[in-house]
Amino acid sequence: MLVIPRKDTNAPRDRAEPRLRDAAAMIARRSRTGGRGIALSERGGSIVIEGQAPSYQEKVEIGWAAAKLGFKGVVNDLSVEGAPEETLSPPLLADSALEGAYYDVVIVGGGVIGSAVARELTRLDLSVALLEKESDVAAHTSSRNDGMVHDGFAAKPGSKKAAYNVRGNRLWEPLCAELGVEFKRPGSLILFGSALSAAAYPVMAERARRNGVDGWEFWSRARVAAEEPNVAGDQHGAFFLPSAGVLSPYKATVALAESAIMNGARVFLDTCVLGMELESGRIARVRTNRGACRAGVVVNAAGNWSDVVAGMAGDRFFSLHQRRGTEAILDADTGRHLRHIMGMPRLVQIKSKTKGGGLVPTVEGNVLVGPTAAEAPGREDYSTRAWELRELEKHVRLNTRLAMGQAITYFAGVRPCTYEEDFVVERSERVPNLVHAAGIQSPGLASAPAIAEDVARMVAEIASGFRAVRPRDGWKARRSAAPEPRRLGPEARNALILGNPAYGRIVCRCEEVSEGEIVDAVRSVLPVSSMDAVKRRTRAGMGRCHGGFCTPRVMEIVARETGSPLWAVTKKGPGSELCVGPTKGARV
Amino acid sequence: MSRRIDTDVVVLGAGPAGLAAACAAMEAGARVVLVEREERVGGILKQCVHDGFGLVRYRSKLSGPEYALRDADRFAALGGAVMLEAFVTKAERRDGGFSLSCVDKGGVVELSSKALVLATGCRERTDRQVFIHGDRPAGILTAGLAQYMINVQGLLPGRRALILGSGDIGLIMARRMTLEGMEVVGAHEAKPEPSGLSRNVRQCLEDFSIPLELSSTVTSVRGGRRVEGVTTARVDEAMRPIPGTERDVECDTLVLSVGLIPENELARSLGVPLDPATKGPKVDQSMHTLVDGVFACGNAVHVNDLADYVSESGETAGRAAAAYASPGARPERRLVPVEAGPGFLYAVPQLVDLGSAAAEASGGATGAGSAGSAGSTGGADERAAFYFRSRATMPGGAVVRMATADGTELYKRRYAVLRPPEMERFELSPHALSEALAGMRGDGARLVVGMERLEPK
Repeated sequence: MLVIPRKDTNAPRDRAEPRLRDAAAMIARRSRTGGRGIALSERGGSIVIEGQAPSYQEKVEIGWAAAKLGFKGVVNDLSVEGAPEETLSPPLLADSALEGAYYDVVIVGGGVIGSAVARELTRLDLSVALLEKESDVAAHTSSRNDGMVHDGFAAKPGSKKAAYNVRGNRLWEPLCAELGVEFKRPGSLILFGSALSAAAYPVMAERARRNGVDGWEFWSRARVAAEEPNVAGDQHGAFFLPSAGVLSPYKATVALAESAIMNGARVFLDTCVLGMELESGRIARVRTNRGACRAGVVVNAAGNWSDVVAGMAGDRFFSLHQRRGTEAILDADTGRHLRHIMGMPRLVQIKSKTKGGGLVPTVEGNVLVGPTAAEAPGREDYSTRAWELRELEKHVRLNTRLAMGQAITYFAGVRPCTYEEDFVVERSERVPNLVHAAGIQSPGLASAPAIAEDVARMVAEIASGFRAVRPRDGWKARRSAAPEPRRLGPEARNALILGNPAYGRIVCRCEEVSEGEIVDAVRSVLPVSSMDAVKRRTRAGMGRCHGGFCTPRVMEIVARETGSPLWAVTKKGPGSELCVGPTKGARV
Repeated sequence: MSRRIDTDVVVLGAGPAGLAAACAAMEAGARVVLVEREERVGGILKQCVHDGFGLVRYRSKLSGPEYALRDADRFAALGGAVMLEAFVTKAERRDGGFSLSCVDKGGVVELSSKALVLATGCRERTDRQVFIHGDRPAGILTAGLAQYMINVQGLLPGRRALILGSGDIGLIMARRMTLEGMEVVGAHEAKPEPSGLSRNVRQCLEDFSIPLELSSTVTSVRGGRRVEGVTTARVDEAMRPIPGTERDVECDTLVLSVGLIPENELARSLGVPLDPATKGPKVDQSMHTLVDGVFACGNAVHVNDLADYVSESGETAGRAAAAYASPGARPERRLVPVEAGPGFLYAVPQLVDLGSAAAEASGGATGAGSAGSAGSTGGADERAAFYFRSRATMPGGAVVRMATADGTELYKRRYAVLRPPEMERFELSPHALSEALAGMRGDGARLVVGMERLEPK
């Protein structure tokens, strides 16, 4: 261990490893307080940083600096006053559904990564359980992003991000066709704000080439104006990336999980991993609020908690910091004004950790504005701030037909970032039956199918050590998606309603969602019962009235289908009941 | 095969406006199809169990459901056809009339009509539209939703509520929630004066000792699964929160009554021009929009404070739609704008049709003009009703004048007090209109309404 002295007079002890001394020097240079009192040590190849940081921003900057020194990972345990270390808050549910069960593979986390890994693993005849602590899959980062399937240009050449992004981008379109999920490829315009930035084109083209991006073009000012008629006047052409796509990230995640279930995987919602029991170095049992199960292989796809889950297995060789992003959703009426994904990064952003946000036309016809990017503690802090919305105005100004007044809502997400700012996709070096898919920040959605392929391959390698691994018989690539009557022509829609009148009863007037679609969501192979889960699947409550009219009707359908009392229908799982009970004398 | 229905007038929405329009159109001899999204007619009145409805129209104090039943019974007695739980998915102009695609539990229905009456009502503004930040737990709801839960579903939305906004539904819900045993810790209004009717401030807040905090708003919500509290703050004249005035208030429910927005998605899809001040279609004195054959009424045109006036505009629209759909030559529309001065928040109608005013003045109106309808008072004659709201409270009152561009005065009245929450109304005979405007032609033709503020004595 090396402690940066509290007073400048004492030099660091010389016995310390040279890299730690380099780290100490760098921290002392970077920190406002000279890093005094911060202790550095090496553990399992990673640098461990302990002590006190004056602010979260500085804690993160120290972590970034340490990441440049060639350690395996950065475990940044600096404490920050006012930002206490967070602990998992497990669901209120407690039963023994998992007690004593055995699965060849236990996946921790039901985001897009965990769900894609689950589906990929069902190609093999392994028993698979996916554990998700929320009442639905895609409850966190996988539903709190802009749905962009990035082209792969923005990632740092040579990074895992770059490789997985480009591969994932190619995989999503056929995957969406199999899953019955809409995918569009509007392409992305990086607008040049000045003649000077336009001069950067050759450098950008070289980066795109190194990353293996599928196509790029220079668009002149006139071409941009012709192809994107509402673009604001002050552009100097654009860098166009035709491979950038969009999809609904939560619909895709739900579809992946459902496809996995249809092929034999089990998904346990409201199920939180609380600890792991190791036997001779291997994970033997996974403890949850619903009992402990045995596991052949464990996949850590725990999003913003993936460092904590790694720690449960004694393999916390990295730690996460959180980068918040806030986005606004504009009314469904605005989509017709925007043809491409677009943004205009400022020159100063070129060195930043994100690509800077912009405008995204969604598959549903809305426009998403954002995201912002700010380092802030809070693994699940989705509260929004007024200043974040003001920051989004700059994107809206890129299009003459858009205004923040068209926003119907806004939301925040949290990117799980390692200090290396790259993905961790690998077999654990310390625990032989653990695979990490961690630190999956942007472009994680775009990369998900490729990450899932690699993780499934690693799991199969491990599993073949304790059993024979063969392809599953009768594996079905296609998922039969529930009907969406509003997308059908009059005759097909009429026939659907004649078969089931519930498809003719419109419950959500803004998004034209029928009772039948809500019943389908509640009764699907991944049954859900919260308003938010129904909303993510059907769009009921997502429109301009924001559930003002449809909430009572959706509640009634959910209560009827699940046998729950009407008042006990929840917004997002137990503890979030919409009502506290019946009124005086009411029989509900 | 989908079903097809051919009719004279389609009325969209069976709240008070649509019911009145459908009745008036039938009484004028038109074939009518009334289309309603919900399982029962009556619109939002179904959940308004408080009284105070019908004072103008029926000279009695009715509850919302009682008020709605009057026109529902009238419509049933006329043998009117209503499609319930029916939803229009597409509307377009076709062959001089309208073609509507509609779905209900029986399948897809193609409706075609000669005239269309939009009585689509309004929706509530949400927490996001007033930019409340912080967490997103359960327990944030609009006043109308709270009203539906309590009065229709028999559900208690929480135990301790704070109300943001002082719109009428919010005030009424303060009383209602208190009577159901909830604690209402206060109502916060960002404006320096209440948004609702004075009588509601007295009867719903003051009578129950519920504090009303003016120039105060909610800036953020706190809570994981359920609301645990909100932050309130004083606001300055520009309604911006004043730093340092934040206060944390413990509550499990936040009820919003922060304004209503006319629902005009269908109007927009038909290319009907809207008035940015009202957010509803621009109409003439017959509630005829700028798209021939499309009429609009009720809260879809502008947010009324009394259901009675909603019904009145429905009667007017229904009668005019029937006349439009009747065989024979339609009088040529000669639209003259009504310009409202800076003292007005808005004035409706935004246009006067001299063509139909002249036709009615000479007694030559088709269809509707001849039939005086039973069971309704306002709007049964052919006098043109004007509605307006003042932009600011004028405690000393004001003089309101309507005149032609060349200064011929058509109307003048002194109001003892004007307040934005209280809608005002006056009427003119079509005779006066056509006389005064007889000589007006060409681009300069217009009416002007002005407001002269009087200082309190």
